[in-house]
Amino acid sequence: MTKVPITLTVNQHDYHLEVEPSRTLLEVLRLDLGLTGTKSNCLQGTCGICTVLVDGMAVNTCIYPILRAADKNITTIEGVAAGNNLHILQRAFLEHQAVQCGYCIPGMLLSALALLQENPAPSPSEIQTALAGNLCRCTGYAKIIEAVQAAAVTMQQEREGA
Amino acid sequence: MSTRYEYHRPATWIEAAQLLRHYADEAKILAGGTVILNQIARGVITPKHLVSLDHLPDWNRLDLNDGLRCGAGVTYRQIERATADFPPYSTLHEAAQKVGSTQIRNVATLVGNLCHASPAGDAITPLMALGAQVVIFGLGGTRTLPIESFLVGPKTTILQPGELVQQLIIPKPPSRTISTFIKTGRRHAMEISTVNIAVCLTFAPDETCLEARLALGAVAPTPIRAHEAEKRLVGQPLTSEIIRAAAELAVQATDPISDLRASADFRRHLVGVMTRRALESCRLMGSAS
Repeated sequence: MTKVPITLTVNQHDYHLEVEPSRTLLEVLRLDLGLTGTKSNCLQGTCGICTVLVDGMAVNTCIYPILRAADKNITTIEGVAAGNNLHILQRAFLEHQAVQCGYCIPGMLLSALALLQENPAPSPSEIQTALAGNLCRCTGYAKIIEAVQAAAVTMQQEREGA
Repeated sequence: MSTRYEYHRPATWIEAAQLLRHYADEAKILAGGTVILNQIARGVITPKHLVSLDHLPDWNRLDLNDGLRCGAGVTYRQIERATADFPPYSTLHEAAQKVGSTQIRNVATLVGNLCHASPAGDAITPLMALGAQVVIFGLGGTRTLPIESFLVGPKTTILQPGELVQQLIIPKPPSRTISTFIKTGRRHAMEISTVNIAVCLTFAPDETCLEARLALGAVAPTPIRAHEAEKRLVGQPLTSEIIRAAAELAVQATDPISDLRASADFRRHLVGVMTRRALESCRLMGSAS
C-alpha cells in the first residue's frame, strides 16, 4: 500500500513522515524516529513494556495503529526528563531502588506519570491498579510502588512550595 | 517493510458497510484494535483489509441524557468515568474498571469488545443486566435487537457480512434500581473471567423486588441470563432464604466447561457463591438508600 503523510507530535516536537498505514506506533517511534527508549517485547499488548502516553493516557504502542497517532500529543520516556534534570518520579525510582534490569522502567514511569497527573495522591491500591498493565520480572513491584508514593509526596510539596 | 493489510478509513456508515460486504472474510473492523492487532501479531488472523471506524460521524459519542447511548468507538475509560456517579449503572462501571489494564481500557471499546463476543466478556453481562439494545447498521438499513439475541455462540454474533454495530442503548433505569458486578479470576488484572456475574434489581416501594436481571459469564457458550433465578426474586423481599434459593437456581442455569482456568464443577460452585454475594450486596445497597 502506498505510504501516507502524517505528522506526529512527540515530546512537543512535530515530525513529518510518510508511513505505511499498517505499521504500529511502536515501530515508527523506534525505527523511523530513532526513539528507542520505548521498548519492544511481547508485541501483543499484554506486557506494557511499550507504554507511551497519547494525550496523557497510557497506551500499548505495539498494538496502536500509526494513523491513529496523528494529531495527538505523544510523550515517550525521552520526554520525561527536562534536559539533564531528571523528573521527580525518575529520581524517586533511583532513590528507592525500584530499577533492576531497567527494561520495564520506561513504560512503568510513563504509566506512573499518567496516574500522578490525574490523581496526585494515589493510594497503594490505586497505584497497583494503574501499573497493573506493566509487568516487571525483576523487582517484585514493592519498591516501584514505594517510589511512586514518594514521588507523589515530593510533587505535592513542590506544588505547595511554589 | 511489506504491507500487512490495506487500511481503510470510511467517512460514512454506508461506505463502511460497503467495504465490509465487498471484502467479506478478508476484512476486519478496527474499533479500538486491542484484540484485532493482538490477533494479527500472534498470527491468529490474517485479514487483508482493516476497516477503521474512527472517521465515522459520532463514532465515540457517549450520551447520558436519556439512558445511556454509546457509539462504536466509546472506550472503557470513557464508560468508567461516565458511569461513576450513577448507582444504577454500578454493574457496568465496576466491569469497565476491571477489563484488561489501564493501557487497554484507554483504547479498547465497549462495542468492539461486545462484538468479540467472548463467553467470558466482562462488560457483556452488565449490558444484559441493564437490558441493553444493540443497533446494527447494514446496507439494508438499521435494526435494533436485545443484546441476548445479538450473541449467538462463542465469539459469534448475529452480524452478517456488511453489517456493523453503530450504537448500544441502555434504557434509563427506573428509580430504586441497584446493580452490581463480581468477577472471579486467577489474578486482579489482565485476566479473562473464570466466572463473572452482573445483577440489576429494581425495588418496589414496599422493598420487594419488582424486576430482576441476573447475567452470568464464562459458564455457557454465551453470557446468559438466569431466568429461573430472576423469577424467584420477583415479588419477594430479599431475604437470606430467597437469596439462597435464587443462587441455587442460578447454578442450575449454567452449562460450564472445564478449561485451563477452572473445572466445570468449580465454576458451578463459584456461581452459587457469587450469586449469593451479589444479591447480599444489593440488599445492603438497597437498605442504605
